[in-house]
Amino acid sequence: MPQAESQTRSPGLYLDFLRGIFVKVGALPFLLVVLVVLFSAANKYFLGMQNLVDMLHEGVFTALAALGQLFVLISGGFDLSIGANIALTSITSATVMSSMYSAYPHDPALAIAAGVIAVLIVGILVGLVNGIGVAYLEVNPFIVTLATASAFQGVTLLISQGQEVGGLPDAFVHGVGSGNWLGIPVAALIALPLILALYVLLSRARYGRYIFAIGSSPGAARVAGIRVPVQILLTYIICGLAAAIAGFLLTARVSAGEPLLGTEYTLTSITAAVIGGASLRGGEGSVGGTLLGVVFVIFLSNGMDLMGLSANHEMIALGAALIFAVVIDRQRARAVAAGFRKRLAVDSVRDPEDSGPGAAHP
Amino acid sequence: MEASAPGADERDESVVSLVGVTKRFEGVVALNTVSVDLHPGEVLVLLGENGAGKSTLVNLLIGALRPDEGTIRIRGRAVLHQDPAAARRQGINAVLQDFSLAPSLSIADNLFLGREPHRLGLRDRARIHAEARRALDLLGMTIDVETPVAFLGRAEQQMVEIVKALCGRPGVLILDEPTATLTEEETHRLFAIVARLKSEHWAILYITHRLEEVRRVGDRVMVLRDGRCIAAYRVGEVSEDQLIADMVGRPLSVLYPPKAAARSTRALLKAESLTTRDGRVADVSLEVREGEIVGIAGLVRAGCSEVARACFGLIEVEKGTVEIGGTRVLKPDPRTMLRLGMVYLPQDRRGEALALSRSIEENVALEALASPRLSPFGIVRHALVHRDVTAIVERLDVRPRNIHLPVVRLSGGNQQKVVLGRALTRPRLVYLFDEPTAGVDVGARQAIYRHMHELCAAGAGVLFVSSDLEEVVHLAARVYVMHEGRVQAELAGEEIDAATVIRHSFGLDSAPGPTQGHVTGGASGAAS
Repeated sequence: MPQAESQTRSPGLYLDFLRGIFVKVGALPFLLVVLVVLFSAANKYFLGMQNLVDMLHEGVFTALAALGQLFVLISGGFDLSIGANIALTSITSATVMSSMYSAYPHDPALAIAAGVIAVLIVGILVGLVNGIGVAYLEVNPFIVTLATASAFQGVTLLISQGQEVGGLPDAFVHGVGSGNWLGIPVAALIALPLILALYVLLSRARYGRYIFAIGSSPGAARVAGIRVPVQILLTYIICGLAAAIAGFLLTARVSAGEPLLGTEYTLTSITAAVIGGASLRGGEGSVGGTLLGVVFVIFLSNGMDLMGLSANHEMIALGAALIFAVVIDRQRARAVAAGFRKRLAVDSVRDPEDSGPGAAHP
Repeated sequence: MEASAPGADERDESVVSLVGVTKRFEGVVALNTVSVDLHPGEVLVLLGENGAGKSTLVNLLIGALRPDEGTIRIRGRAVLHQDPAAARRQGINAVLQDFSLAPSLSIADNLFLGREPHRLGLRDRARIHAEARRALDLLGMTIDVETPVAFLGRAEQQMVEIVKALCGRPGVLILDEPTATLTEEETHRLFAIVARLKSEHWAILYITHRLEEVRRVGDRVMVLRDGRCIAAYRVGEVSEDQLIADMVGRPLSVLYPPKAAARSTRALLKAESLTTRDGRVADVSLEVREGEIVGIAGLVRAGCSEVARACFGLIEVEKGTVEIGGTRVLKPDPRTMLRLGMVYLPQDRRGEALALSRSIEENVALEALASPRLSPFGIVRHALVHRDVTAIVERLDVRPRNIHLPVVRLSGGNQQKVVLGRALTRPRLVYLFDEPTAGVDVGARQAIYRHMHELCAAGAGVLFVSSDLEEVVHLAARVYVMHEGRVQAELAGEEIDAATVIRHSFGLDSAPGPTQGHVTGGASGAAS
């Protein structure tokens, strides 16, 4: 989509060009450059082929969770239950698969298919619970998803009794979990069409236009004849499904259902989406930007790994990154507003008849 | 300068004056060498359209902005570095359109915010309470001073804001469109207060775009247009026609198209005994015929907007029906009404009409996207949408033309054109305009009237709600005048004149007054 910012760029001002990028996609490109320089200087394996493939594999889970989060954020909502959803999916699907597998040990495909169905059911149910709370009971999404996160966690622990669920089909653990095709992880191949579908939904489909409008102004969406609650419910279902699929792929990766799997994805999904240009005020964000945000999050955690820093350090860095992303988000809103004032002045001078606020002629 | 009140000897001097003040925003001149004097014991009315520079002038006076050229003098002394707190200490008190009240605090706490009386280092609650009570009594407000401001209606908040201004050092009171949200009774009381302050030698700057208020409160009147002082008169030495001509810069006949009357008796929209659950609309019946522009007029809270909103399904209907193009609807909702050919253009551009952060294109196409032509199987045909929207933007002359620009970047007039653009994406039977020209400059206003007219010429019906009396009188072929949620009168043709509309809006449906000029007398009579 051609953006207006580039048209008002003053000639010869490189800084203005950089500011244009900042306004459009945020500080992310600059930060990525910094991270790549820093980590590849610290460890020559950072940009090595094997590490890139590892990062791609890690990125798949984050990408699905972050894109789900993106839909909710665009519609003006928030989902804090993504981590709990992943754990719930992991336990549920693993339980279903292992019992199917022990009943029909000669047919692993049947077990996996049952697992997939369990994933879809959990994802839709989670989305329905969150979405009904937000869209129909009109409770603040922060509260709804904070509460459901606790409830989902409780269900997970009840089902699993706090134990790992093993005994998964080999085809699942070695095929989906650690398998690859032409060097590309199978998990990435599974996720790719889903990510494409989400892109089409957001950028090409009517539905995308609707949720952008709802996030920007729910009242305006209603007056334009959009069924706002239904659309909001759909964003939570999409988010629930995306996170559930991430949980399924993650279960394959760790080769067991784990009751505490994926708790960090609540934070990383928000960080990736916001740092990639989604606004916490709703009505803004893109699939491309979010994927770049995922790259940032993955670079950060993987790079710190390679530098020998522990997961604890990563948690600190990610927390800082989220705060940073929000500050950047606000700065960008200001930059946009500043561009607005400048532009209005320019337009008023250009079009004498268009007397906007304070549009007198010198 | 420690004098608490301007004495009689100062009466001929101005308390505050702006001398040749110019203010620019990013190179655009908002105020151009304007001079204003405020004299004690006098009300100066500042009259001007939206965007004329009234707010800039107020902001200079209260120290929120500093002039680029010219000087501000307070009691004869030039002020170099003004800020709002200092201006208030010097007796410049203002009631602005954006309130400065803390919603969760009580009325009393708001009145003394930042200057609470203390005793032994603690807030002196008893004194705060007593002084707040006394201040409210002065304005005839009987409400409990411990009530949190959030519980008050907008009009009551406005009154609290006025009380707050009056609690400051006496001198100057600036009222920026104070009656916009007041009922006639409250307005009447406000004018009484203004009269009393005048007798106490306050200097009052009264900002409005309502002509009838000039005569009711003003001693002098100054007209601002495009940042310039166009003219200044003593009230009583100038006709309303002259003031209108000064304000809009062109005669009214150019602004308003000839009236669009019904082409047939066929009713496109018919509401029968419409009653809303919240009780704001009671037993309203009305109809809009083919090719007709119909107005709804009335005082604030008379339920004018609510009628349109109920017809469109934004307010829950309890009783009655809405019939559009022959289809009867019991429980209207926006989707159904849009499908049946009704479109509503809201008054609240920010909250209901526009997704401000989204582009012109997305906003214009938002509703039309539902059609299979623009999005078969839910997939948007971008090229087609782009073409449709471009055509509409050109037809409405939205500026700037770049349809990928977020609408937040447009001026009020152009934003309103985008709202209109959405309604024009496909032909409709009935267009409901809610305050179509609020916050819109004269150029856009003229364009909006022209488009309403074109829609009627094409056989549609237009129903508009307006608190702008002049607009109602000059635009509507028929007028429903509302009073307390009910239709008080239906006027047509020659019956539509300002005096009659006002009289009915106060609930007086008896014989017309002795002369049409005595609007003021009728109004105060009704309120007292």
